[in-house]
Amino acid sequence: MKISEPALIELLKNGDEKGFEYLYESYSAALYGIVFRIVKTEEVANEVLQDAFLKIYNNINSYDSKKGKLFTWMLNLTRNLSIDKTRSKEMSQARQSDNVGDNVYMLDHESTDIKVDDIGVKELLNKLDKDQQDVVELVYFGGYTQSEAAKELSLPLGTVKTRIRASLKLLRKVLSVN
Amino acid sequence: MNISEYISSGILEAYVLGDLTAGERKDVEDMIDKHPEIRNELAEIESTIEELALKTAISPDDALKKKIKDQINFKEEAKEIVLVNKPVVTNTIKYAVAASLTIALVTSYLAFDFWSKWQSTKSRLDNLIAQNQRIADDYNFVNQELQDIEADLEILANPDFNRILMRGTENSPNALASIYWNKRSEEVYLKIQNLQQLSDENQYQLWAIVDGVPVDLGVFDLSNDVMPMTQIADAAAFAVTIEPRGGSVNPSLETMQVVGNSGD
Repeated sequence: MKISEPALIELLKNGDEKGFEYLYESYSAALYGIVFRIVKTEEVANEVLQDAFLKIYNNINSYDSKKGKLFTWMLNLTRNLSIDKTRSKEMSQARQSDNVGDNVYMLDHESTDIKVDDIGVKELLNKLDKDQQDVVELVYFGGYTQSEAAKELSLPLGTVKTRIRASLKLLRKVLSVN
Repeated sequence: MNISEYISSGILEAYVLGDLTAGERKDVEDMIDKHPEIRNELAEIESTIEELALKTAISPDDALKKKIKDQINFKEEAKEIVLVNKPVVTNTIKYAVAASLTIALVTSYLAFDFWSKWQSTKSRLDNLIAQNQRIADDYNFVNQELQDIEADLEILANPDFNRILMRGTENSPNALASIYWNKRSEEVYLKIQNLQQLSDENQYQLWAIVDGVPVDLGVFDLSNDVMPMTQIADAAAFAVTIEPRGGSVNPSLETMQVVGNSGD
């Protein structure tokens, strides 16, 4: 059953459980992908996703459809929670008690240049040139702000902005083809 | 700024990614209100980002949904109260009903249990596939490194290659580098043992001294690799100088770092 975005928002505002079910089924995996790539461990990702859904549900009244799509609002809320979590102390402690699986993950983050590591993402990024890949990895998958990415890549901020734009334009084409 | 310039500045992407200050957001929102073209472009960008997220989605653990829902107080739907006239039933029927109810309950419980196990296995499988890919990436990386090292070793161990040690000059007494030179094939390789870090404007340049005249064998930066340089058939000596990035036509001999005689 497909529920339109305005109808879904109405259901959520009414505290309807079906609305929440639909929201969760439609978007939890998309948001979890974003969270997981930023916080990098399953345990923390679960925590962040939980906080995000509670926040989305509890603050649905502050979403304004004039300012953008529901997903954009949820994405930003979720990204912000992920970034806060990464920067918080909790994160550094969690890293110390990593299990082997997480260490495998960290290994390729710390010892090689491979930052984005799943097949789907790789295939997509391969459509971009190297410069564009760098900015997309940081800004979209890494949770960097554009200014942070500019600093990290030693590029002028304007260049980062135009590269992001060019990358998204290209991805738009690629995604709509599929 | 006209509309197409505004769009191509990348500000809408920054808006969608939540990368603007409150003031900047307000400006963008005003522009969206005023210009339908900007609103359309914004919608396109939002759809791209959403597609991208759906395309790169990872399923969370199934137990998570229940955990989240348990923390929410949903509005209860008004329960329908149905009044039924209770029929008079015999004990036998009561037992039969109780038994079938029990069977139905047990079966539903089992079905649910299997379903959740299946779901959680599926999610674990997704994670394992992702992890497997990461390990494969690491393996490829290490394998590539190994191949590079094997290629280097082949040169170092090949008896056709003469090793010529280039020792530090007065400029830098501790500097050290080696040339591996195959006179028959004219191949020249360079391996740095110890050279100082240079500023970005400068680069090292290798020279061969042929009949008293320096011949350019190429520029290089610091590296742990065994580096192929320009081939040469004859050389009395090899030397390395510091030159402006890109190299020079004639060596700046006063900057010479290391030098070694070929023994020819």
